[in-house]
Formats: sequence, C-alpha cells, structure tokens
Amino acid sequence: MPGKPANDKPTYDEANRLMELSAILFYAFTVLTVGSAAYMVFSKNIVHAAFALIFSLSGVAALYVLLYADFVAATQILVYVGGILILILFGIMLTTLDFTENLKTVTVNMLPASLLSGAVAVLLLYVFFAAEWTTIVPADRDGTMYDLGMMLMNEYLLPFQIAGVLLLVAIIGALLMSTRHKNEP
Amino acid sequence: MVENILNSIGHFYPEISIVVTLCVVIIADLLLKRENHTISWIFLAGLTVTGLLVLQQTGLNTSIFHDMAAVDPFAVFFKVILIIASLFIVLFSINSRELDPYKSRLGEYYMLIAGMILGMFLMVGSTNLLLIYLAFEMTSICSYVLAGFTKRALKSAEGSIKYIMYGAVSSGIMLYGISLLIGITAATDIYGVNASLAAGIDQPMILYIAILMIIVGIGFKIAVVPFHFWAPDVYEGAPITITAFLAVASKIAAVALMIRLFKVSFMDTASVQIIGDWPIFEGLNWNMLLAFMAALAMIAGNLTALKQDNIKRMLAYSSIAHAGYILMGFVVLTDEGITAIMIYVFMYLFMNLGAFYVAMLFSNKLNTESIEKYKGLGFRAPMECIAMTVFLIALTGLPPTAGFIAKLYIFGAAISAGWIWLVLIAGITTVISLFYYIRVVKNMFFFKSDGISEPLVFDAGSKVILFMLLIPVLLFGIYFTPIIEFARYSLKMFGM
Repeated sequence: MPGKPANDKPTYDEANRLMELSAILFYAFTVLTVGSAAYMVFSKNIVHAAFALIFSLSGVAALYVLLYADFVAATQILVYVGGILILILFGIMLTTLDFTENLKTVTVNMLPASLLSGAVAVLLLYVFFAAEWTTIVPADRDGTMYDLGMMLMNEYLLPFQIAGVLLLVAIIGALLMSTRHKNEP
Repeated sequence: MVENILNSIGHFYPEISIVVTLCVVIIADLLLKRENHTISWIFLAGLTVTGLLVLQQTGLNTSIFHDMAAVDPFAVFFKVILIIASLFIVLFSINSRELDPYKSRLGEYYMLIAGMILGMFLMVGSTNLLLIYLAFEMTSICSYVLAGFTKRALKSAEGSIKYIMYGAVSSGIMLYGISLLIGITAATDIYGVNASLAAGIDQPMILYIAILMIIVGIGFKIAVVPFHFWAPDVYEGAPITITAFLAVASKIAAVALMIRLFKVSFMDTASVQIIGDWPIFEGLNWNMLLAFMAALAMIAGNLTALKQDNIKRMLAYSSIAHAGYILMGFVVLTDEGITAIMIYVFMYLFMNLGAFYVAMLFSNKLNTESIEKYKGLGFRAPMECIAMTVFLIALTGLPPTAGFIAKLYIFGAAISAGWIWLVLIAGITTVISLFYYIRVVKNMFFFKSDGISEPLVFDAGSKVILFMLLIPVLLFGIYFTPIIEFARYSLKMFGM
C-alpha cells in the first residue's frame, strides 16, 4: 500500500549486505518474469505460451516477496499460478485436439506495430530514468497479514467491497457470454 | 475508525440500494417466469428507490470511507442524470422488440445494467485513484457484455470484441498513467496528489505523460478523437437500448470523473485569489491538449457523420462530436465552463435518448436502421417523425429547443475565456452537423413512401415515453432557469 512520502533517510549500513543479496535476487526474478512473458508473447504454441505464463506469474510472486508482501505473494501463487493458469491449461487440453493444433497466431501490420511499440518502449524507459520517484523503503516486518486485514476492513473497506461486486458482475457476464439457451435464435 | 465507516454507510444508501437491486434481480430471475416483463418492473422499482435516495442526498457535502469517495452537490447532480438515463433505458428495454428473442436472459441483462450504474455512481463520486480505477473497470466490464448481448447477431458480437480489445488496452494505459502519478506524488487520494504537487514537484514532462495516459483511458470512455475508433462499430452492433445507454450515461459519467480528477488534482489552490477562476499548476497546461482533442472530435465526428446511412452509426459519430463540445467547456478552466457542461449534459440526455428512442420505434416496426428506408415515414407516423425532427434540431443546437440553450452556454463560456479559435471550429462544425441531421428529416417528410402507405401504429405506452422525452427538450428550450440554478448550485465539490 502506498503511503505518505518517507522523509527520514534509511539507514543503509546494517542492511547493506542484505540489500545486495535482495538486489541480485530481484534482477534474477525480473529476468525470469520478463523473459517468460516475452516467450509467451512470441511463442506460436499455445500450450508453451501457457506454461511460460506460469513462470512469469511465479516471478511476479517472488518480486512481491522481495517487497515484504508475503500475503500478496501467496495469493498470487494460489490464485494465478495455482488457479487461473491451471484452468487455462485444462481449457486448452480439454478442447478438441485439432482445434488447438490448427490454432495459428497471425501477426499483421508488422511495421507500424513494431514502430509503435518501439516508440512506447522509448517513452517508458525515458519516464523510468527521468522521473524522480518518491521511494518508500519497506520496513522489515514479520508479517503483513494483521495490518492488511485491518486496512481492508478500515481505510480500504469500500474498494474491497466494490471489488467483490465487480467479480460477481464479471462472473455473470462470463456466464451470459458463454452459455446458450435452448429457445434462443 | 469504526465511526467513520458507520457514518459513511449513512451517506452510501444509493449505491447500497443499487447493489441490493442487483441481488434482488438475480433471485427474482430464479423464481419468476421468464416470459413476461415482471423482472423489468422489479428493476424499475429498484431504480426508483435508488433515485429517491439520491435526491435525499442533496445538500450534503462530505467525504466518506476515509476519503475514498465524496458525496457533494457535484456528485449528486450527475447521479440524478445517470438515474434518469437508467430509468429511460429500462422503459426502452420493455418496448424493444430487438431484445424479445433474449427474453429468458433479461435477468442477466438488468444485473449488468445495475452493475454499470454502480460503476458510474462511483465514477462520479470517487476521490481515490484506486476506487476511480475500480469504478472505471466495473462500468467497462458490464458494458462489454451488454454490447454483445444480442450475441446471435454477428454485428453485436463483432462490436463487443472490438470494444473489449480497445477497452482493455486503453484501461491498461490509464492504469500505467495512474501508477506514474502515484509514483511521483506518493499519494493515492486526489487531495494528496494535489498537496504533493502544491509542495512543488518539478517534473512537468513526467506529469504530462502521466496525464496523457490517464486521458487515453477517460477519452476512450467519452469516445473522443483520437480514442473513438471503437464507437461506431460498437454503437451499431449493440442493441439500441444499450447504444443509447453508452452514448449518454457512460459518456456523462466519464466526463464527471474527468472534471473531478483534473480539477481536484491539478488545481493550484494557493493562487486561486491571484489568477482567478481555476488556476492550474504552472507549466502543466494539460488543457491545451484537451482543446486540440475537442477540436479534432468536433471536426472528425461531424464530417464522418455526413456519410453514414445507419442511424445508430450516424448518432455514434454525432455523439463523438458532442463529446468535443462538452470538452470545450472543460478546457476553459472556469466555473462558468463547468456549469455549461452540466447544463449541456442535462439537455444532451433528453435529446439524444429521444433520437435513439424514435430510431428504436422505427426499428421495431420496420426492422431497419437505414436512413434511406425512412423515406416517406413522415406520412405514416407523423407524430414520431415530428418528435424525431425536434430531437435532431435540438442535437444541432437550434432554438427553441434545449439543445440551443446547451450550446449557447458552452459557446458563451468559451468566448468569455478567450478561446476564439475553438469556438470558431465549434460554430463551423455545428453548421456542418445540420446537414446530416436534416437529411433524416428530409427523408422522412420530403419523399413519397415507395408503395406502402398504411400508417404505423404505436401503442399508448410508447407514446407516453416519447412525450416524457419530447416535453423536456421543448420545455427546457424556453424555461431553463431551474436547470441553470441547479447546475450552478451543484458546482460545489468536496474539498474545493
């Protein structure tokens, strides 16, 4: 959760070695996340793409751990890696085989698309390097569960509840789109 | 802590009521027979209760749920507009023949509309970037599904897919922009963003990029050039009731969200006294950006509308142009401009819904949306055609209709703020718009109907709805003082 800007400078000296280790881990997991995401996008095989996504999302979970967000990391693994991706894989495997085999990913408008994404990449890199980010050094803590629970029931009660309604509506929408009644034209 | 929540719930009844309505519709859908419109009436009752609860909020000016949302005259004004639009949409849906084959799905249809209303209510009220995004997505997800509701129609499915694609990309960009804004200002509530900027953040370029990205998301919802590409296909493909809802309600909600977000976040409160109405932070002239977008929307929308034959498509382009006119009131950065927007959207609500309604009535009887097929209709359904003429004249902005008053105030605000070039473009494009609006009228009245001449008969219920739209359009063209008073009173935002 973003909070107020931290005014006091962090004490680096005692945490220095730990920081170095976590920096190495951070870059390792970043490579994992971005690399498998790239593989997913460029892979022509839909099953390979789904597996690549598993690694990508697990990498994100690891990044959460590095941010001391243990609960979010666990949820990421449970919901995305354990739930949604397994569902995607089942979905792919249970649909008829020739459908998935003949499924082709086609790339159109190669040149304008590459130019646009190149421009966006430059823009985002510029923003990343040029901006003076307000940084908050995460405090070492044992667990975030208690604080998270208190926040969800206090300051963030409304978004929490609204997210619930959003999921309900999304489920109804998905049902509506995917099912067919007998008496429909 | 708990007191805040308990107090907040007391100011949150309209939203609670709409969620309860959603749940009641789910249960009623299970229990009731699906062959008649009982569920529509239940939903209508729920909306009426919600509307009454909204009216009860007049005069409040407070922040709820730890500054997550505000209940202020500004929010109440837009909630009133949204609830009026929703009530009309339910009445339209009851009369729509297009939805008849999907009668067994009406429960889901209304659930999604309820979800959309909740999303839009939160859009006009939320003061926290997190909730703003949630509300935005809630509205979007419901409208994606609703746009594809008549999914056996190929056009509807096509429109829905395009809508999701564009929507997902633009809301992703908007989310990125929001994260940049939070990254620089370290605040998620818009008051905190303002405080951080007031404390002096010297990164105009990064802020520009963040603002641009947020405008992509909101511009998509308002359907303003250059983020309008989805609109014609979606408007044409979606059932006409939903087209009307998208063109009116979700557009208006996004405008309200934009005004609140930009005004509260990027107004330099310290120098209000020195510079005047609504000073923006130095070196952060985002309103120029919006001025160009408004000009483009007016030009592109009106010029492309000239060539359209499908009435829904034509109204889609016309609504893009209207988004341009609405934005014009926003770039002038005065209270007068915001008042003009509020008057505009109030009038726009009735005239645009009216045009869509008559198009729906014709589509019910003739099974066509082609303007060419309207030839000779003036003699077969004189009253409906006269009403259509009034709505189209109002959309053009000619007296003595409500549309004239709306345009008058917007143009007036822009002129008094010195945006002459923008007003010039607006004036010229208004004249252009006359051509395509009048073409419909010409087709209805100045051609003999080919062969068939028996009159079209509409039942009393649909006539009543027609008058409920027609009378405000004519009345507010002459007697508009209460609307202006209401808009002026509703300028007040929490924390301003």
